[in-house]
Amino acid sequence: MKNLLILSLALLLAACASVRKVESGANPVGERMSINVDGNWNHLDFPGIKPAQLWTMEGITIDELMVYSGIRDGQVMHSESAASDKQKDFAFRKAMQTEEIVSMLEGVLSRDGSTFKLRKLEPYAFGGKKGFRFEFERIRKIDNVQMRGLGFGAVDREELFALVYQAPRLTFFPRHEARVEAIAKAVSIK
Amino acid sequence: MKRRQLLAAGCACCASALVPRAWAQETPDYLAPQRFQRPDLATDEGGLWAMMDREEKALRRSPLVLRDARLAGYVQDIACRLGAAHCPDIRVFLVRTPQFNASMAPNGMLQIWTGLLLRMENEAQLAAVIGHEIGHYLQRHSVDRLRDIKSRAAAGQVLALFGLAGAIGQLAVLAGGFAYSRDHEHEADRIGAHLMHRAGYRVSESAAVWNNLLDEARAREGDEPSATSPLFASHPAPPERRNNLAQLAQSMPGGTDGKDRYAEHTGHLIDEWLQDEIKRGQYAESLVLLSRRIDTGGAAGLMRYYRGEVHRLRGLAGDHDLAWSDYQLAVADADPPPPAFRGIGLVARQRGQMSEARHAFARYLDLAPEAPDAALIKSYLAELNS
Ligand SMILES: [Zn+2]
Repeated sequence: MKNLLILSLALLLAACASVRKVESGANPVGERMSINVDGNWNHLDFPGIKPAQLWTMEGITIDELMVYSGIRDGQVMHSESAASDKQKDFAFRKAMQTEEIVSMLEGVLSRDGSTFKLRKLEPYAFGGKKGFRFEFERIRKIDNVQMRGLGFGAVDREELFALVYQAPRLTFFPRHEARVEAIAKAVSIK
Repeated sequence: MKRRQLLAAGCACCASALVPRAWAQETPDYLAPQRFQRPDLATDEGGLWAMMDREEKALRRSPLVLRDARLAGYVQDIACRLGAAHCPDIRVFLVRTPQFNASMAPNGMLQIWTGLLLRMENEAQLAAVIGHEIGHYLQRHSVDRLRDIKSRAAAGQVLALFGLAGAIGQLAVLAGGFAYSRDHEHEADRIGAHLMHRAGYRVSESAAVWNNLLDEARAREGDEPSATSPLFASHPAPPERRNNLAQLAQSMPGGTDGKDRYAEHTGHLIDEWLQDEIKRGQYAESLVLLSRRIDTGGAAGLMRYYRGEVHRLRGLAGDHDLAWSDYQLAVADADPPPPAFRGIGLVARQRGQMSEARHAFARYLDLAPEAPDAALIKSYLAELNS
């Protein structure tokens, strides 16, 4: 099915995706979060990606930065309607502890049959709020590529804010790792 | 070819007769065809093989294939006992993917996913699944399926898109996503049962596989079983297949289930497979699976811990209490999983039971100082101590 999936993804993207360049400097995402970037990030928009924004430097099949801003209690993390077999959706709950939020993101990242291995989970001040940072490894099911990733997040006034970055562990992850750390450090949450 | 036609006729007759008992009793012993020669590349069957060869080459390099020589050898041996003369043509690949699935390609590549291995209670159940897949292989059902799809209207679109040369490959890919026909499934079930019986397995375990899957599917409110697993997408309703298999088993008594052997070869991987299982977020199914394991014994501490995790992650009303009691039983086990202490700490922290939380987190860090979340748990401890 792999070829067909890639084909249909390509068709889908060609048909309904929009791409725009992310401007250097402060970029508001949602009502309360702002992200400061330098470098050539592109913002892709296509059906099924909400409630996240997807940013990429190298292109969508290589690296991706998922940006979640102001996710509210009960809100579904990427509705599953696009997938072929029906699965229960993951949803954010305001009562979630850090471990449960990370488990939810793990679930989102392994829903396509990819593996997920947590390497590290630690406290982190995200956007000036009490939050968390995690590192992970993933084998992407669709093409067997070994990925590495970084995630950051915090819950403030019952809303979730998070960044999840991943790229192939060879070449691309090391190339952009420091840049992503810098982005996370400069996030502001109103 | 004669044998194939005979079987096909037999199967068509039985599918409409709706008398499973007669069907089971009148089924003659199964005669497998000779080993297959590689078909000419110019034929559609040759094209199908070539495509599967390419897929196998990619699979060989896949980091998702388990590199556990002992387990792989064990499953290969089971396939060989069932496949008998066809053994040299069957190549087993165990793939780390938490869904329930197995498939066999016409070139002899047999894929089994870990979500299926996790759900097998004994060797005979695994033999039932493998025997069924070998049944499809021996009767070359995938070639029938390819030809069937080619004859449909959808093929026209594929032809237009890829041209004649590319179309066979694309159709084969497309065919892989389609279920086998009802007759094919019945035939594969029946052949699988014969192969099991001949290899000395208890045939009734094949019905148990379906029964257990049905329990999981039914636990999901509002979902038809066909929505939950690629194997359910096949035409005959799961209860019908289960009942037919149970009937067949009555005419093939005896055999062993190989429960201890199966546990001995898979025990060290259950933890990893359960980690993958709960990441699916399909909590109702996981609860049925784990509860069945707890009821039938074996790795009790681990199963309790994971059931606790499922309740904690689901987080519905009452789930924290259920998680708490499972974690408590898990840590009372002779071989307590360290993260069960973390589970107790997290539930206690949320309930405001600070001293319990402190003790449990400290114990977790004692037992698993290198845990990936150690830094976060230390920060909780620092908070609790201040
Ligand atoms: Zn089948």
